[in-house]
Formats: sequence, structure tokens, C-alpha cells
Amino acid sequence: MASAPRPERVPRLLAGCLPLTRPTPTVGLVSMEQEETYLELYLDQCAAQDDLAPPRSPLFNPVAPYGMYILNASNLDTALNSNPEVKEASGDFSSVDLSFLPDEVTQENKDQPVISSRHETEENSESQSPQSRLPSLSEQDIGLGLNSSSLSNSHSQLHPGDTDSVQPSPEKPNSDSLSLASITPMTPMTPVSECCGIVPQLQNIVSTVNLACKLDLKKIALHAKNAEYNPKRFAAVIMRIREPRTTALIFSSGKMVCTGAKSEEQSRLAARKYARVVQKLGFPARFLDFKIQNMVGSCDVRFPIRLEGLVLTHQQFSSYEPELFPGLIYRMVKPRIVLLIFVSGKVVLTGAKERSEIYEAFENIYPILKGFKKA
Amino acid sequence: MAYQLYRNTTLGNSLQESLDELIQGSLNTYRFCDNVWTFVLNDVEFREVTELIKVDKVKIVACDGKNTGSNTTE
Repeated sequence: MASAPRPERVPRLLAGCLPLTRPTPTVGLVSMEQEETYLELYLDQCAAQDDLAPPRSPLFNPVAPYGMYILNASNLDTALNSNPEVKEASGDFSSVDLSFLPDEVTQENKDQPVISSRHETEENSESQSPQSRLPSLSEQDIGLGLNSSSLSNSHSQLHPGDTDSVQPSPEKPNSDSLSLASITPMTPMTPVSECCGIVPQLQNIVSTVNLACKLDLKKIALHAKNAEYNPKRFAAVIMRIREPRTTALIFSSGKMVCTGAKSEEQSRLAARKYARVVQKLGFPARFLDFKIQNMVGSCDVRFPIRLEGLVLTHQQFSSYEPELFPGLIYRMVKPRIVLLIFVSGKVVLTGAKERSEIYEAFENIYPILKGFKKA
Repeated sequence: MAYQLYRNTTLGNSLQESLDELIQGSLNTYRFCDNVWTFVLNDVEFREVTELIKVDKVKIVACDGKNTGSNTTE
């Protein structure tokens, strides 16, 4: 999963999104009762999982496996064929930024143990790895983080809407392998959220690169355009370029931080431009170890949220101090993303190294937020 | 570890609006080194009560105040 080389090779539209190992699920809306039912079904399916699928341990987190998303590609296919609602949702694909690389999906899909999905709009089915056995989770654990058990909490947190109707019937793998085969060419890996088509938009990308040569910051500040250097305040040159609109912090060690880009490819392009500026000033600059360190996204769920309720039921993950900050700070475990959730329904997601993590985190949080809709 | 980067970026992003000026306004370049600000502006109007002076390019060199400030335009 090298992030560095990939963006260079792909056309601009399929911009440098980091390799995606899972498609985003088309998660539907479920009520609490439905979620409980799906959770039960999921648990039943986990117990039967061993018979169906070989382990895919390297990729799977026992609690919330990647396979969940890959499977949803097949779910999507079956769902598309059978469910008009999902078609509407999938229709949103055309308006969504296609930044994922289908190659990865194809590979993953083929290897994927197939678990059937019913023709439901809500997916997020758990194509589980057999390790994720949760037979110990009884029905008491159903619900959104209401229990003290951390495992059940994390489980219910991570699979809020999920639970899909996965049937451990032996016949399904066949249909699914067929659907997988048919789906691999088509899945654009676009995130479809909750059949409402809400897609978090990236607002900021922070990346670092090593220019691999010592730099004379004063010389850079004096000769480069749009540069600031105040060593008493900060030991780096702060340089900006117009296109892509970004800011770079350039250190005397030759390391550089590039911030402000709205996409992975833009961040890389901007970093290259800064490197070229430094190079033109006479330094033997190279472009080593480009890495995206953080990605920030935001979106709007379009309904007000009861933050008090959310912090009560998800206290393990939430912190809400309205006197300190008006947003609830939700620290999701998987993916490891921090979400700022506001009463207005606006959500900020940060801490991602890959675009898919932002989408995945929003997929996870959306059903939870729906459960705390105001009025 | 990652948070250190965040702190750096708040510093780096703190003057993003200056880029907005670049895009919208007439600020061509800016520089700050040795506590001296240097700005180059294009298409500037100097307006006084009586007269109006239009200029294609203005370079402003500015130092800190406190009895030793000086402004030069050319």
C-alpha cells in the first residue's frame, strides 16, 4: 500500500487516492429494532462463518473487517439488480469524485470469501473473517453502545447499521461469486452513504516530503517569492503557492510539510512545485518519501443532532463539553478517525491517512447520528 | 507524533488569507525576512483628496515600528 508512487501513474481524474482495499458500502437506514435484528443475524452468521470462508487474517480486523466493504461491492450488485432504492443511491456515483483505483478492488473481490447479502438496501454486511467470532455476544449486547462491555460497545459502535441480513446458506456463495465476478469491472469504489448520497468532502490534506539536502533558509526566504522566515518565531520558511493553493513549511534539514490541498494528487503536485522552487534556487533537491499524514473532511447530515443523547450512549468514544467547545468529539476506533459533530448536523472528520478512512468513518457514524436526530 | 504535525500546520495555515489576497487582490508577492516585509503590488491606485495616481507596480518595504520603522516605496 505505497502511497507515494501511485498518484503519479494514474490519470488526473482517478487522482492519487491511496489504494483502497474496500469499496464503500451502501448503507441503508435502519431503525434500532432492525439494527438489533441484523446484529443477531450477523452473530449467527459469524458462527457459521468458519464453514464458508477461509481466513483472511492479514487484512481483517476481527471486529470490523475490511471484507465488509468489499463484500458490499457484491451486495451492491445484487442489491442493484433487485432493489430500486439502491439504484437511486448508486446513481449518485456519477456525481461523486471518483478517486479510487478499481484495480485494488478487483483483486480484493476475487480473493474475498463470499458471504451473501440479501437484497437489502442496508448493507454493511459483515463479510466476516472467521476470527471475528462473537458467539459470546448475546442479545443483550444489541443496541448502540448501551452496554458496559467494551467489546460489545465497540462492536455496536462499529457496526451501527450493519448487520446485515447475511444468510449463511451454502447456496449463496455461488450466487455471490457470480455477482462478484460481474461486479468487479464496474465498481468504481465511490462511497455511497446511506442511500442519501452524502459524501464527505475533503477540505485539507497535510503531507510531508524529504528534499534530502540541507537548505539555507535565509537564502530561500530572500530569493523565493511569497516566503516568510522569522527564525525567532519558527525555524522554517513558510512559503505559499497559488495553484494548488497551499502552504509549505520548509526546514533547514530539507524536510518539508505541505498543507492546504484539497486532494491527494493536489498535495503531491504542490509539494513537487515547492521542491522545484527550492531546486531552482540552486539546492540539489529531491523528492523522497512523500507521505500524506492527515486528511480532513467535512459534510452535513442535514438534520439537527441530540449531542447529549449521543454522549450518553457512546460515552466511551465521545466527549462533549459545550462550555469548552460546541462540538462533540467522537473518537472512532475503527477506522481511527476523530469526528467533530455539531448540533447543526455538520460533521468534521479528521485523522485519516487515506480517503477511504474518511468515507468509512462517515458510513459508520451516519446511522448513529440518525438515531439521535432531533425532533 | 501526528499531533506535532498538526501544530505545525496551524502555523503554516495561519496566513492562508494572504493567498486569498494574491488571488483576488493586487498583491503580487510578499516576503518577510530579517523582520523586514517586502510587498510587490500591481495596478495600484494611490488616492489623495485632490489627486489620484495609478501605478503598475509598487514595491513596499516595511520594518517594524518602535522608533526605527521606515517605509519606502519605489
